[in-house]
Amino acid sequence: MLRRLRSLARRLIGVTRVPTYYLPWLTRPGLACVVLVNNIESRFTTGRDAHGLAATITQYDADGSVVGVQHTALDDSLDTSEVPVASTPSGHGFVTVEAPTIHSDLYVALVGDEAYTATHGRQEFVEHYPVLARMVMAGAGRVLGLAGHTLPLFARDQYVYHGPASRSHLLLLNLSNVDNRIRVVATRAGAVAGTRLLRLPPMGSAMLDVAALAPGAGPLTVDRLRLTGNAWFNLYLVGAGPRDLDGALSLMHVK
Amino acid sequence: MSSELAALMSATFHEAGVTHVVELVHQKDAAAHRRLASVRVEAYDAGGTRRVARELDPGQETLDLDALLGGVGREHGRLLVVFDARYDPHIFPYRPHHYAYLHRPGSAAPPLYYAVNATLGGVPDRIGAVALNNFESYLFLDRPLRERYALAVGNLARFAAAEAEVITYYGGERCREEVRLAPKTHAEIALAAERDGHRLRRVELKTLFRLTSYVVGRRQDDLVLFDHLFTYFK
Repeated sequence: MLRRLRSLARRLIGVTRVPTYYLPWLTRPGLACVVLVNNIESRFTTGRDAHGLAATITQYDADGSVVGVQHTALDDSLDTSEVPVASTPSGHGFVTVEAPTIHSDLYVALVGDEAYTATHGRQEFVEHYPVLARMVMAGAGRVLGLAGHTLPLFARDQYVYHGPASRSHLLLLNLSNVDNRIRVVATRAGAVAGTRLLRLPPMGSAMLDVAALAPGAGPLTVDRLRLTGNAWFNLYLVGAGPRDLDGALSLMHVK
Repeated sequence: MSSELAALMSATFHEAGVTHVVELVHQKDAAAHRRLASVRVEAYDAGGTRRVARELDPGQETLDLDALLGGVGREHGRLLVVFDARYDPHIFPYRPHHYAYLHRPGSAAPPLYYAVNATLGGVPDRIGAVALNNFESYLFLDRPLRERYALAVGNLARFAAAEAEVITYYGGERCREEVRLAPKTHAEIALAAERDGHRLRRVELKTLFRLTSYVVGRRQDDLVLFDHLFTYFK
């Protein structure tokens, strides 16, 4: 019922959802990030041919600006193209991959002297709001933001872990063309442990330090996060060891 | 609650001494409905002998695996851990997918977070297949590997032995290895970093039915990669 109401509301407002494959990226001194493009799915799908297949990779920085656009092509279904991501001062964001017949199989890898990790992206969509809707949402968001709230149109739940030796930060991705105010509420044993309101610019991203949100207790604390935003968003977990974001990192998708 | 319950069987591997917290419920579901109908955990050693069987509180959100299995793991080595969950499909319209957090205390490596294999229950119609139709794939970056990689595989079937093909690609070279797993047994198949000067670029796993399977990367004693492969069905 709620899903139908949302769909109706989107149609009335004029929101369009553009199918988009995206992956997060993360760079730090000594830690490079590479997108792996391939199309092994074409081996199992009739009518698809990976030969000569082209893909366009667009890199968005944390502030939503386009850092770069790269083009690549695959020779066959076993071919893999490695596309390095540019390093920026913010050190995080996401890339979109435009390739008409690729809907899976794309990985992003973090590579450094101390670490190697990889995770896959998502075939979802980016929401485009018309001008009037953007203005209304911006005004409503500012008013609600004064009280630390947001328009709770989308919600996600996620467990996070933190302790002195390890923690899982959140890399939040705004998959829309509006400012996305995302409210994060951490609960522990049924009680609120911390709240935070983040403002992500259109196509922007933010790194949320879970330990700062709700200080842990003991060797490992498990918190449950409820995230609500005024537009479509997703998140990845960034694993950090004893040296936190200055050390080796891992990156992982969530459901 | 509906009188018709759905089933999910998930599986992972546990090594003693590693902090390993499994999320038993799907993060997406509303707090009021965050409850399975039942969940049972079993653990098997590499030879397929069951070492632990226990019903869990279905309202429990996360499970500390090392607290439950650490002692058994120290005695019997790496364990195949099986979660047999029943759930109301109206509460969990997709399925109560398990995720897990993994980190070795004292390690400088970052913790890992991964999706636990939904081994049976997700694809029950595939059990009677007669051709190798279950296909999984994983890519490696083209670089000198500082880690040791392996494919950890386990057979959850009660009666059927599993015959699997592990295929690795090094440049243009394709290497094939056959693996046979008796019911409830598991193994770790090492993947050579290089062959004839060519680097490991891809591993594929072909089976008649879904095995528990993870790509595992290690540096010294640290796990630096523990991830599912990409699955396709022919």
